Amino acid sequence: MSEPVLSVENLSLRYRVPGGAIAALRNVSIAVRQGEVLGIAGESGCGKSTLAAAMIDLVGTNAEVTSGVVRLNGRDILALSPVDRRRLRGREIAMVFQDPMTAFSPVLTVGAQLVDFQFNLDGLAGREKWRRARDMLARVGLSDPDHAMGRFPHELSGGMRQRAAIAAALLMRPSVLIADEPTTALDVTMEAQIVHLLRQLQADYRCAIVIVTHHLGVIAELCDRVAVMYAGEVVEEAPVDALFHDPRHPYTRALLACDPARIEAATGRLPAIGGRLPDLSSPPTGCSFADRCGIATDRCRAAPPPRVGLGPDRNALCHEVAP
Amino acid sequence: MTVLLSIRDLDVDLGRGGWFADAAPLNILSGVSLDLMPGETLGLVGESGSGKTTLARAVLGLQPVSGGRLWFDGAELTRPADFRAIRRRAALMFQDATASLSPRMTVGEAVTEPFAIHRIAVRNRHDKAAELLAEVGLPPEMAARYPHELSGGQARRVGVARALALKPALVIADEPTAGLDVSVQADILNLMADLKERHGLSYLIITHNLALVRHVADRIAVLYLGRLVETGPTRAIFADPRHPYTRSLIAAEPKPDPRKRRADLAIRGEIPSILRRPAGCEFHTRCPLAREICRVEPPALGDIGRGRSARCHFAETMTEGGRHELEHR
Repeated sequence: MSEPVLSVENLSLRYRVPGGAIAALRNVSIAVRQGEVLGIAGESGCGKSTLAAAMIDLVGTNAEVTSGVVRLNGRDILALSPVDRRRLRGREIAMVFQDPMTAFSPVLTVGAQLVDFQFNLDGLAGREKWRRARDMLARVGLSDPDHAMGRFPHELSGGMRQRAAIAAALLMRPSVLIADEPTTALDVTMEAQIVHLLRQLQADYRCAIVIVTHHLGVIAELCDRVAVMYAGEVVEEAPVDALFHDPRHPYTRALLACDPARIEAATGRLPAIGGRLPDLSSPPTGCSFADRCGIATDRCRAAPPPRVGLGPDRNALCHEVAP
Repeated sequence: MTVLLSIRDLDVDLGRGGWFADAAPLNILSGVSLDLMPGETLGLVGESGSGKTTLARAVLGLQPVSGGRLWFDGAELTRPADFRAIRRRAALMFQDATASLSPRMTVGEAVTEPFAIHRIAVRNRHDKAAELLAEVGLPPEMAARYPHELSGGQARRVGVARALALKPALVIADEPTAGLDVSVQADILNLMADLKERHGLSYLIITHNLALVRHVADRIAVLYLGRLVETGPTRAIFADPRHPYTRSLIAAEPKPDPRKRRADLAIRGEIPSILRRPAGCEFHTRCPLAREICRVEPPALGDIGRGRSARCHFAETMTEGGRHELEHR
């Protein structure tokens, strides 16, 4: 198995808030290899966007890494100087956000910005950068790239903007692309097209992709491996087929069970998980999911669950799961 | 049984202002006819820009219409006063639950505001707020909160409570679960199902989430560029969609099963701008089955039996062969 391009090891991160701190990530370890698509699934507040931001070192100023390392192509990026970290972003690792409007400046044309994004490419003439930008827009499926180059972001449709944002991210040929909810703001039809595009680009460029989403359909369509997060922890990690056909952690099972797209018979009523996320300003001593879990025992509430290995690339953070 | 809401040949055109005042008005909705029975849930489906929200606004008199007729509970709506009256009996749940609540009003004020708007006396607003919040499963203390203190699911429940305040017969829900996690989505849908049973509500659910309508809607109406392209019972449409657009929408939905990945694209391109409405069948620019006639002749919404209709030249002959052709192009 090839070396991971990007790995997060025992990362803990908290956000300082008035009167305390919120443990947004607790001991998270995850790795993505070249040419692999890793999905990070979970519900709002589980820490998946924080994890994505930490991978590219874009966490807010109130965030504090309390332990762990983030390794990109072998280097611990958290130990680098701010200048060196900045050089990595865009060049070795790039990000696509949920709302592509926020990825672009509203006052410059798409073309001007795509040229600017290549400022790291020394020795390349402006005209050459323009041509690369235009070609990349064509590559991501904009039917009239020359026209799009001259448009302002608000003049493009949501789907076209997201394509342009993907083009911007890929311009520097990064080894890792991180996409945070890349299709959430789009219609079903656009979503299907962006999923299709990411799959094609991944095959062409062989970069590693990390997709953060709460949409299980997108995970199933696109990912090779999945990490399911709950309350700041990775509770299950598995190859995509195993996750959907043999989920082992009770949370993963519950999450899959309440997706209406997975329920064949039309029913008026859907299964729900019930209860709510634990308060992460004082995380529980035992398993974070215990209060909502159907099979929890006293042991689950008392002691932190072990990470149980379940075969290659598979593990679950649970007292009750059998190896 | 009287039809609760009846829409006949509804047209909505937007006049253009400013420099464009002389230009021809933009046609947003054209010839939309729909019926909603008491206790029924109708799902209105389509991409952004298909006119779903405009239709809801027109029904409530919030959007001037340029043609067509509307009846609510047997009475025709014509004058502004008629629409004011039906806004007491038909409530709207807005798309963005948090944004639709005033940031300066507490939850308690927001859920009881409909009484003030319609000048209905309430003996005790606190009790009324608590009662409405209990109805949607929120504790009475919630009444003192402001919208920014609510989670997405709570804001959605407040939206439901506000919609229910005047005991409506019809609730129009615009993307009721957009932006919610699946488990919270299930909570909200189950709540809406409970309330429907308890109060005999009808729902008009506007959404682009097909997995959702499949579970909650009795019937579906599919809009494309402001025209109905297919209507019928939910089960029948999902089992055997007759319009290529409906079929593409169903196929485009990402399947939560890695063994069912699609190798190809179910639907190409984007919904055209209403500024450049395609001639002939408006879907022909994206339709995998489009022939010469589709580029020239606009198809009519035709009855195809068993309570179904479809706007396609080939709706009747859309057999297994046609499906095969679509899927193996």
